Amino acid sequence: MSKIINASSKEIDSIDNSNSPVGNDSDLAVSNTVSLTVSNLNLFYDTKQALNSINMTIPKKMVTAFIGPSGCGKSTLLRCFNRMNDLIDGVRIEGSIFLHDEDIYARDVDVANLRRRIGMVFQKPNPFPKSIYENVAYGLRIQRVNNRRTLDRAVERSLRAAALWDEVKDRLQESALSLSGGQQQRLVIARAIAIEPEVLLLDEPASALDPISTLKIEELIYELKRDYTIVIVTHNMQQATRVSDFAAFMYLGNLIEFDDTKKIFTNPAQKQTEDYITGRYG
Amino acid sequence: MESDTTQTKLELEKSHRRWRMIKDRIFGWAMAVGGISVIITIVMIFFYLFYVVLPIFGSASTTPLVRYEAPFKGATIAHLALDEYAEIGFVITADGEYAFFAANDGTTINQGKVSNGTGRSVVAIAAGDPVQRSVTIAFDDRTAIVVRPDYAISYPNDKRHITPTLEYPFGKTPVDLGEASGKILLLAAQSQDDEATIVSVTDANVVSLTHVTLTESFLGDEPAVTTTHTALPNIEYDISDLLIDVEQRELYVASAQGQISYFNISDKQHPRLTYLVNVLSNDHRLTSLKYLSGGISILVGDSSGAISQWFPVRDDNNNYTIQKVRSFTPFTAGVSIVVPEYFRKGFVAADEAGNFALMHTTAGRILATDRIATNSLQALAISPRADALLFLTDSGELEKRSVHNEHPEISWNSIWGKVWYESRAEPEYIWQSSSASGDFEPKFSLTPLTFGTLKAALYAMLFAIPLAILGAIYTAYFMTPKMRNFVKPSVEVMAALPTVILGFLAGLWLAPFVEQYLVGVILAFVFIPLSFVVTSFLVDKLPAGVSSYFRNGWEAAALLPVVCFGIWLCVTLSLPIETAFFDGSLPAWLSENFGISYDQRNSLVVGIAIGFAVIPTIFSISEDAVFGVPGHLTTGSLALGATSWQTMIGVVILTASPGIFSAVMIGLGRAVGETMIVLMATGNTPIMDINIFEGFRALSANIAVEMPESEVNSTHFRVLFLAALVLFMVTFAVNTVAEIVRQRLRVKYSNL
Repeated sequence: MSKIINASSKEIDSIDNSNSPVGNDSDLAVSNTVSLTVSNLNLFYDTKQALNSINMTIPKKMVTAFIGPSGCGKSTLLRCFNRMNDLIDGVRIEGSIFLHDEDIYARDVDVANLRRRIGMVFQKPNPFPKSIYENVAYGLRIQRVNNRRTLDRAVERSLRAAALWDEVKDRLQESALSLSGGQQQRLVIARAIAIEPEVLLLDEPASALDPISTLKIEELIYELKRDYTIVIVTHNMQQATRVSDFAAFMYLGNLIEFDDTKKIFTNPAQKQTEDYITGRYG
Repeated sequence: MESDTTQTKLELEKSHRRWRMIKDRIFGWAMAVGGISVIITIVMIFFYLFYVVLPIFGSASTTPLVRYEAPFKGATIAHLALDEYAEIGFVITADGEYAFFAANDGTTINQGKVSNGTGRSVVAIAAGDPVQRSVTIAFDDRTAIVVRPDYAISYPNDKRHITPTLEYPFGKTPVDLGEASGKILLLAAQSQDDEATIVSVTDANVVSLTHVTLTESFLGDEPAVTTTHTALPNIEYDISDLLIDVEQRELYVASAQGQISYFNISDKQHPRLTYLVNVLSNDHRLTSLKYLSGGISILVGDSSGAISQWFPVRDDNNNYTIQKVRSFTPFTAGVSIVVPEYFRKGFVAADEAGNFALMHTTAGRILATDRIATNSLQALAISPRADALLFLTDSGELEKRSVHNEHPEISWNSIWGKVWYESRAEPEYIWQSSSASGDFEPKFSLTPLTFGTLKAALYAMLFAIPLAILGAIYTAYFMTPKMRNFVKPSVEVMAALPTVILGFLAGLWLAPFVEQYLVGVILAFVFIPLSFVVTSFLVDKLPAGVSSYFRNGWEAAALLPVVCFGIWLCVTLSLPIETAFFDGSLPAWLSENFGISYDQRNSLVVGIAIGFAVIPTIFSISEDAVFGVPGHLTTGSLALGATSWQTMIGVVILTASPGIFSAVMIGLGRAVGETMIVLMATGNTPIMDINIFEGFRALSANIAVEMPESEVNSTHFRVLFLAALVLFMVTFAVNTVAEIVRQRLRVKYSNL
């Protein structure tokens, strides 16, 4: 297992054209190119182990896709990054995840602040029953930003970034629930980026949408990676090839292979990966 | 063979489908019928209430029955009366001739002449209180005879037969009216049991009072008659009217210009002039002066066609002054006759142009007006049951009319407005439906009862809303599922508690407890919420390892001992604090220093008890609403860096608001309709006072208390139905508003 991780780490190096050697336990040098580092992570639902000693590094301002069959633990791993698993009863986590060089599972971590820095978008669009404007402003308001002009600017910037501005600029005060599913999902993305997180976690963001909306979301992801580190969980392998720079294949709670997306899909190192992407199971 | 089985299969499938469709239709119809019949039932209840209530708002009417020639045609009629069944009329002429006649055709039954035995002529005739029926006839030798028509009822062949006779309650021997100069012009008399008071005025304006008493002698068969004579102080003006009340304690002496002197004649030897008023303005003339039934109010008719009601009103210094309370202007011509009803506060009046009108003082309503003749009437009589009228025209014809006037005392104003009731210092809202006396003025104001209902609901909601909603939010959103599984069903079981038990506990245990430990109870309302804050602050300061036990949804368990300790502490401190600061008793201290009176069964007790009755409803519905907030909204908010508290305020409550709102409204509907608790735990005193330490009477409890003792179809009965209708409409309005608002909120905030 560790061999694979090492191999993938090397791949990151080569792609990034970075000169510094990158390892799992490397520090300062990493923070320039690496956003998240997972170190020996085990996760248990009560007694059942759902993740088995995961080690990986998520590169900065890149799109990393998690693929694998249902129940393989990719969403669970994703939710470890902003500690959403804390909300589930009986979840126990061993090991650590570093955002840059801070352990997000340290005792004194302010979880709410961590989640502000690591935003998340869910599979099902979940706009709040408020106006479009208030949905986007929500994250800022809970940070006690109430200055009207600041909010106006942030809302416009986020909606533009989420490619929704032109569609909703004339009806910002209407209920967010009046938007279509695809628009709602882009609104939710706008809401997530309004608070300028460092990392954006996307949990199957397009799986509930029609093909045209899916395409828009994918274009959006491509745009967003200029500013954000993006981790996306997807069932759709075409989507993974289209949007991601790196891909991690997981199976039964194990990280099987983590590499450049092109390599994973054209020349995977592991037979399990090849079996999955060629449709033997999943 | 194979096609056969296919055929059978198809057949089976077809019959199955048809059967399925039939079932579907049957159940569809059954549900439609069920739903529609519920609506029909509610509409029918509404219409039934409405149907029972409607007559009290109708006006009165009269129906002409017969018209015939009166006995003693051409003679001046001094008095006209009807018996209880309106079958027999009694008439007495100015010459003292009397006759009983069938009221339906004028056939004379019995007639005669009242004389003093010496052939002196009659100078004046005065009728007393209609219930007492006495008529006093004065002769020109200053003597008088008191007569009284009597109606003996027998039932030969099971048919009612009335035999009228004229009685002489003080004997046939004339009563001497004493010495006075001049000829008698005016006479007023009242007699009751063995006592009579006769006041006469001579053409020299001399007023003298004769008091007649009847003493049963032990030896003789004839009771002895004793008379005393008193001269009244000089009256400055020309007297045109005299009036004595049935108790023979008051005497009004009036002039045509409207001056009225009020004498207290309780002591017959020493009549006392209490005050003098002028009841008329402008240059109208006083044309009629009569007592309303009950002998408290007087009715003053004048030449402008107005009739005003006056009665003595006590002022702050305990002095009585006669004051004008209300007036009616049914006529354009001058008032000629005013005849009060026997028992109710209504009266009939006629004017000089031959019109008559039925009125009621409490309601302040002119119930009916009609024209009976072209000239002024000679006399007018109303039957004791107020269901028939007898008119005597100046051409000597009698007309009998039946009267339909079952509920004259009700008007919009007498139900909802302030009414100046007899003997009250000012117009007030009063509910007092019955009393010991028959001529009592019923006070049917629903305002204090509606106020009571709303007061109960207000205090109940003040108690229940914070507890139920905060509890529901905590249970649904913060509490650990293990504890929630226990707490929620427990609270819901409370809803099954019969309210009679809550009322019983509130009235017999809580009310005395609150009275004894009032300081503790008030302290608890402040101290217990405060102890939550202090406790959570302290827990926060504990080492992380220890405090984590009390987090994650187990906070409530940690607070339980705090609450118990807090209650214990408040109760323990109650008496020492009362002794130290409130002279030993807070209720007494409040009433001494602030004039706040304290009832043992008060709104605080009821608020707590009804609060307990509605908490399960509000809790359960709001808990469901909060718990039903989709998880993806909560996680969405948390994922944006919101804390649990921010998520709850910003997203959860907002999304659950339609449900929380309808929970409150359903709770309010229950609090408004609550009966047993308000019945048992309030004093049922229909007062209007927002003071939390006073009781009240609610609409629902009032119906429960009074319905069993009200006469079916009486005004009281129908007013109770009106109370029910009001209650029904209040709850209907509350629920309708709740539903409309809930629908709107749902459109705005639902995310399902």
